Amino acid sequence: MRDLRRGFLATLPLAPGVVAFGLLYGMMARQVGFSPWGACAMSLAVHAGSAQFTALGMWGASGAIPIILTTLVVNLRHLLMGASIAPHLEDLSRPWKALLALWMSDESYALAIAEYQRGPGNRWYFLGANVGIYVAWGISGLMGGLLGTAVPDPERYGLELIFPLGFLGLLTTFLEDRVGVIVAFASGALALVGAFLLPGKWYVIAAGLLGSALGAVLEERQTRGDVGQ
Amino acid sequence: MKDFLIVAGMALVTYATRYAMIAALGSRASFGNEETDPSLFRRWLRYVPPAVLAALIVPPVVAPEGQIEPGLRVWATIIGAIVAWRTRSALWTIMSGMVVFWLLRLLGG
Repeated sequence: MRDLRRGFLATLPLAPGVVAFGLLYGMMARQVGFSPWGACAMSLAVHAGSAQFTALGMWGASGAIPIILTTLVVNLRHLLMGASIAPHLEDLSRPWKALLALWMSDESYALAIAEYQRGPGNRWYFLGANVGIYVAWGISGLMGGLLGTAVPDPERYGLELIFPLGFLGLLTTFLEDRVGVIVAFASGALALVGAFLLPGKWYVIAAGLLGSALGAVLEERQTRGDVGQ
Repeated sequence: MKDFLIVAGMALVTYATRYAMIAALGSRASFGNEETDPSLFRRWLRYVPPAVLAALIVPPVVAPEGQIEPGLRVWATIIGAIVAWRTRSALWTIMSGMVVFWLLRLLGG
């Protein structure tokens, strides 16, 4: 229970960013015809910011299947996140795995995987982080729907910067060795190139796959070099 | 009713992306014994978190609107990176980066 609270509290620095975009989402949902409660229901059911904003942009103009397929594509990066956190969950029961997957967001994944990397990570911490982001996203979606056009633009206050800064603080956990540092720099550069060449969020998947493959290859060579000496 | 079905479909496919790999890889049998067989696959997975985190950081800071935009965000993130390196704390990285961003903006940067 202590870890549940720790995981929950760890989301607080990210919460202003989540809430700012939750308010914006609620306002935009209202504009395409959702009630405040309908906007909140989508946030609670789907819980994926980028996909929800994309869906709102298509709402009314596109059919059900294009919206659902686009949602799937925008969220494919979860496959990489799930694959990398799976080894930490291998002792858990199936219901626990299903529960932890349910509200795994970019933010709660980042918090949980860094905590596992540091050592003391566990299912309660992960759950607490999931719940913290989930609650902030759900409530702010409702509030945005109720406030309507009174919602401030998050970019006016630079609040979108909270996410990369938070991820940066967590990234340091993975930079203990030379290979980790190389992977981080290479992936950042690859992501930037990918952001220009690829649509949507494909750059996360491309850089995530290529950068981590580079890490595995470098480690392999390093290990062989050690053996040879 | 149609809106309800679309939201339900979105929820379903989103959950599938979250659960698929955890279900497929989340058991010991998926990996073999790490001591005796540190498979290339397992080693590859270890580098996925830094790769994904770096990918979530760079484009939104450097090219938020799809083109390179050197400016306040980049300076704030560089200061944030120094603080991250010294403190290893998400909280302090966010606080320092945001304060630098707001100060630079106040100064008319």
